Amino acid sequence: MSAENLPFKVADLSLAEFGRKEIRLAEHEMPGLMAVREEYGRSQPLRGARITGSLHMTVQTAVLIETLVAIGAEVRWCSCNIFSTQDHAAAAVAVGPDGTQDDPRGIPVFAWKGESLPEYWWCTEQALSWPDGAGPNMLLDDGGDATLLVHKGAEYETAGAVPSAAEEDPEEWRVILDLLRASLAEAPGKWTAVAGQVRGVTEETTTGVHRLYEMATAGTLRFPAINVNDSVTKSKFDNKYGCRHSLVDGINRATDVLIGGKVAVVCGYGDVGKGCAESLRGQGARVVVTEIDPICALQAAMDGYQVATIEDMVGQADIFISATGNYGIITADHMAAMKHQAIVGNIGHFDNEIDMAGLARTPGITRINIKPQVDEWVFADGHSVIILSEGRLLNLGNATGHPSFVMSNSFTNQVIAQVELFTKTAEYPLGVHVLPKHLDEKVARLHLDALGVRLTRLSKEQADYIGVPVDGPYKPDHYRY
Amino acid sequence: MPPDGPVPTAGSGIAGPGLAAAGQARIGWAERTMPVLGLIRESFAASRPLDGLAVAACLHVTAETAVLVNVLRAAGARVHLAASNPLSTQDDVAAALASWPGVTVSARSGAGRETYYRHIHQALDSAPALVFDDGGDLVNTLHEDRPELLAGVAGGVESTTTGVARLRRMAAAGTLAFPVVAANGAATRRMLDNRYGTGQSALDGILRATNTLLAGKTVVVSGYGPAGTGIAERARGLGAQVVVTETDPVRALDAVMAGFRVLPMAAAAPLGEVFITATGSRDVITPAHLEVMRDGAILANAGHFDVEIDVRGLEKLAVTVNPQIRPSADEYVLADGRRLILLAEGRVVNLVAGEGHPAAVMDVSFTVGALSAVWLTSARPPLPPGVHEVPAETDAQAAGLMLACMGTEIDELTPGQQEYLDSWRYGS
Repeated sequence: MSAENLPFKVADLSLAEFGRKEIRLAEHEMPGLMAVREEYGRSQPLRGARITGSLHMTVQTAVLIETLVAIGAEVRWCSCNIFSTQDHAAAAVAVGPDGTQDDPRGIPVFAWKGESLPEYWWCTEQALSWPDGAGPNMLLDDGGDATLLVHKGAEYETAGAVPSAAEEDPEEWRVILDLLRASLAEAPGKWTAVAGQVRGVTEETTTGVHRLYEMATAGTLRFPAINVNDSVTKSKFDNKYGCRHSLVDGINRATDVLIGGKVAVVCGYGDVGKGCAESLRGQGARVVVTEIDPICALQAAMDGYQVATIEDMVGQADIFISATGNYGIITADHMAAMKHQAIVGNIGHFDNEIDMAGLARTPGITRINIKPQVDEWVFADGHSVIILSEGRLLNLGNATGHPSFVMSNSFTNQVIAQVELFTKTAEYPLGVHVLPKHLDEKVARLHLDALGVRLTRLSKEQADYIGVPVDGPYKPDHYRY
Repeated sequence: MPPDGPVPTAGSGIAGPGLAAAGQARIGWAERTMPVLGLIRESFAASRPLDGLAVAACLHVTAETAVLVNVLRAAGARVHLAASNPLSTQDDVAAALASWPGVTVSARSGAGRETYYRHIHQALDSAPALVFDDGGDLVNTLHEDRPELLAGVAGGVESTTTGVARLRRMAAAGTLAFPVVAANGAATRRMLDNRYGTGQSALDGILRATNTLLAGKTVVVSGYGPAGTGIAERARGLGAQVVVTETDPVRALDAVMAGFRVLPMAAAAPLGEVFITATGSRDVITPAHLEVMRDGAILANAGHFDVEIDVRGLEKLAVTVNPQIRPSADEYVLADGRRLILLAEGRVVNLVAGEGHPAAVMDVSFTVGALSAVWLTSARPPLPPGVHEVPAETDAQAAGLMLACMGTEIDELTPGQQEYLDSWRYGS
């Protein structure tokens, strides 16, 4: 597909009013972003910034986008997942706070729920292409797809040609190569120019950060990056507090089973697993943890959880949640040995923690769809398991993912990282950086008032005694919160 | 405050009068942490509701009990105290009490069975009009051995579940000769004493006796009544994995819904690292369980009597006993070398190895007891023989006094709300 120069492309503009109502509610729950608008509204530090964002086009992201605009940026947006767009949020962003359905005055957004892969990459390209033919000078990425397109485009332009896909390459890679091939034919040098003018990228997730470090190590990274993912105020909120909220929410919406009294197995006791275990225990479940890491296993034991292997628990538990970041955690054999109507869900990033393909291959198995994102898989012997969200992230599939307050922490990091990179470009040489500690602390500080927190202030003497400045940063970089 | 300095009192059987000063200091500390009894003492000192009555009391001789004794004295009673458990007596407190006018004390820590009952008889020698009991031994002795005194007894107050159960059996058999208020049943007491008091102090006793880290340990709590619930909750709070054993399906269900693992003792025995019995029953941990326990398992009882863990069975099973490997901890070595650690000889661990309930808990508990005693002696017509519940007003009074002492204010029903609650006319 070639660029059509549409001002935006969303599913249904008539959803804008509903989207705007939800955005208004979310704004109240995103005090960090609203504080940033207040702080930078006058000075407009992002004036001159042309930001391409590739990040789930949700209500919370709408508040992020409008914050970037409020402090001076020009923004184009696409989603970073074919299913994650909330169409009413996309519509509201396209219409904008001051526009109407007939006279949209929002920002160019290219996102709808259920894009095909070619559509997805077309959207990404649109978000990277300004009408005057110019590109962005800043990227805001989630998973690294915008960064990837710019880098691969520039790489192939230098090489003079786009390679052919190999037999074993996934379909998505073919789509990317086809798009770049068309782009090279139409506007050779486009991506090289974009790569040259981008001052930097701020990256949201583990996956994207991983790609950036690989590129930095390989020497192929073309602009500096800030790793937002590893800010404390991002990772703790996203992983621990976010999942603590949305896991139980997802299970309830999907099944409405009473969690109290049930035995729940949580696979993995990292930040996500810790949040999950805490929320299930809080509902009165008896939580059993599985772990491969002795430190995390010991932590779980010291927190009073039974630590067992999944094989120990497979016939005894009522709820199984995978939260490992690994694959093949809950196998078809495990599921075959579970109690009748055991609930199985995954809250890890990818959908391979539960072996869905293996389950589907089990001889004699039948799948009964109970309702969207809830399937009962009935084994040949008549007993069944309830699979949530087809093994994908159940907190997104069965509930609505992270609540606004959690995303306010993540996105305030994003905005501050954008301001840092755009206004202090020279301080961030080529490479991958984390936000300095004082900015992490600033993000936290911006959320305290909304919670009624009264912070104690160090006296000068106290600050000197422990060797920190009165206004922070308070902890060394290696401190583990 | 009673005067300092030893005043020799006939009938006292205490370990050492010289400890009185230390005991007085301890009582002073307890008094400061028992503000509700302080309020009642002031009011009793003015109204003298027990003026001239002889009170025989069989209670744990601790600093907190001394504060109750002082309230009874202020109310005008003469108090004759015996220990309800030979291991829980604080000798310094006994010495201090013995020095108070109008008080006799027969209590010595570590007293044997014979001395224990002699002390109860000494308290009964006062020909009491009112009895305070903790476990039912005094009331039982009174009925069994001193029937000539029964006619003079106006009534009694029993503090424990165990004692009340005995009294109910006596009442059912028609042998209970006077009215007794079941102070253990008061909601305020059950809440603070059993759940929050025992919950905290049983663990305190175990920690003092063993210094073991509870986080990560498997702790088996037998019984999920108020005491077991409190123990289980607090053990979880310290990071233990808690397993509950129960015989009552309703309580067992409650434990399961609270997220505890519930197992029969036979299944829990090989898993546990710390066992705490809180059932009020007997033979909860038997030789069959002891035989499969892990090396180093710690056995503690938080129930009233020493029959929950089969200590004699344990003695028979052991090839060697190393007494007092730490204070309040005896090590039993089994034939295969496994060692089981019995705390407080299987007696109530929070009193023997710890300091019993924190004073604030006993404050409300004894407040209920003191208010109940006054209610009982002032009831007209007199209450019939049998077991009587604490009246709801007394409960509310005790809770209200405690809230006042903590500075917690609560709402009062408006007349409109009261009318709404009393009416059957309002509907949807």
